[in-house]
Amino acid sequence: MRTEYAIEVSKLTRKFGDLVAVDHIDFEVKKGEIFGFLGPNGAGKTTTIRMLTGISIPTEGTASIMGYDIQHHPVKAKEQMGIVPDISNVYNELSAWDNLIFTGRLYDMPKAYRESRAEELLKMFGLYERRREKVQGFSRGMKRRICIAMALMNQSSILFLDEPTSGLDVQSVLVIRDTIRRLNQQGLTIFLTTHNLEEASQMCDRIAIINHGRIAAIDTPEKLKRTLESVQSVEVAFETPPENALKELEKLPRVSEAVKAGDKFRLYTDDPPGVLTSTWNYVQNNNLKLVTINTLGPSLEDVFIKLTGIRPSTVSQETASQNREGSGRDGGRRKMRQ
Amino acid sequence: MKLNRSSRLGREVRVAWAIANKDMHTYYTRPASIMFGILFPFSLFLSFSVGRNVPIALQIPILIAQTLFFASSSIGPVIIPSERANQTFDRFLTSPVSLLAVLMGKTLAGLLYGVGISIIPILVGIVFFGSHIASLEALTACMALSALGFSAMGIVFASMPGQSPGQVMMPLNFVRIPLLFISGVYIPVRELPSWGQAVSLLSPLTHTIELARYALGGETFFGPVVNIAVLAAYTAVFLFIGIRFHIMNQRKE
Repeated sequence: MRTEYAIEVSKLTRKFGDLVAVDHIDFEVKKGEIFGFLGPNGAGKTTTIRMLTGISIPTEGTASIMGYDIQHHPVKAKEQMGIVPDISNVYNELSAWDNLIFTGRLYDMPKAYRESRAEELLKMFGLYERRREKVQGFSRGMKRRICIAMALMNQSSILFLDEPTSGLDVQSVLVIRDTIRRLNQQGLTIFLTTHNLEEASQMCDRIAIINHGRIAAIDTPEKLKRTLESVQSVEVAFETPPENALKELEKLPRVSEAVKAGDKFRLYTDDPPGVLTSTWNYVQNNNLKLVTINTLGPSLEDVFIKLTGIRPSTVSQETASQNREGSGRDGGRRKMRQ
Repeated sequence: MKLNRSSRLGREVRVAWAIANKDMHTYYTRPASIMFGILFPFSLFLSFSVGRNVPIALQIPILIAQTLFFASSSIGPVIIPSERANQTFDRFLTSPVSLLAVLMGKTLAGLLYGVGISIIPILVGIVFFGSHIASLEALTACMALSALGFSAMGIVFASMPGQSPGQVMMPLNFVRIPLLFISGVYIPVRELPSWGQAVSLLSPLTHTIELARYALGGETFFGPVVNIAVLAAYTAVFLFIGIRFHIMNQRKE
């Protein structure tokens, strides 16, 4: 089926009783694109992915994969996709080889082809030498690689990745990111949900931010950042910061907010040159020694915070509220400005 | 996707077989399968038969029926909640096959388990207690229909929300154990009051025991045709309800 879009979503809605988890969302993903899907916990990311991949049935609306409606042509639509869910759902009792071969059988791939494809993928992910070992003995990163290899068995047109690098060691993260980029360069469309805003900023052609079941924004990472040009900041690190540095920095002229970020202080302002001067005066008056001082533009994290309203002060309230409601599907991690 | 072979039906059958094959490798030796599928019926049989003044050869049909009943109906409730817990069941829902093919694969795994395990009491009866097969056709029908029907019954229970076999086994045993009392296991159907015989007619296990008894040269109260018809009807009903329940479950996902 000829269509410009890999994924087309129209008025997609999912209700659980009175709770509207996904509320009439619309978006398209172009063929060959890496599309990021971001949002805080319980925003509706995983529910959306589950509807797009045919695991759950929408209450309203439609979703098409490569032109095939997931409700009316589920087999055709599912032939087009590979899925890497948020947990590595591999068969621990089977070997790496048998996991891939079984996936090939689920897609009814001919024997010779599924064997050559399994060999190719295991070599690609550096697991061919351990193909006869049961997956239960593998590390988390290795299981993740097996899970991605399983999703690639049928040479699909779209790859859904739900938090692919979450909780992995640096080496596995780099291998997976590199693989995603290479696959995309070969023409594979990628639908990526992640909590890692830096990852989304670096990898995605476009990003959708979902909050409370609704799409808050869709655009390229840079254009999203430009919508918040008023959010600029000065980042400063002292060799030995005074105990009350945060409070004092917040009182400097033109500083709208001061936030401690690791060993640095980030001072939000609409006048970076003015804040640079007042910070310098503060350093002189207190006999402090600077380690670094930089001016920064808005980050994707700033856009995310602005659109979702997730701030440290709101997190505790939200967590309490989520606990009362009995929780959403989207796990328990939260990346935020500290 | 041009990789896939032509026939849709053929594809569904191949995938169902692939699922059954995987389940056999993965779940047949699980402690829950062994406990609920093998140890449970054998223990029940021993507790019932030891000390009774009835020749073992006459009790072999009961052991065959109990084994078919417990073994076949245990596999679905062991596999499906475990797969739900580690999200491997989602793999089937995102694969280009129907839910029917997936559940047929699971049912087939239960059927083969039940048939495979029930061969043990048949061999024990023949080798050690002088049992003989009077009707191979009746024995085949008994094993195939009972294993299929009870496996489908297990699939019905496995549609209950739950992520551990124990959560499904409890309600399943709530149904399985009482069935033993109305199916001619402890009291022959012939000796039950008329209302008891009417209730007994409704139990699928009654017809498995009767057919096994008939196949090994014994008598059947309701007759083999009724036995086969009731087992076939239950099989169809369980398969239908199992599929409906799983579709309802998917709607709640």
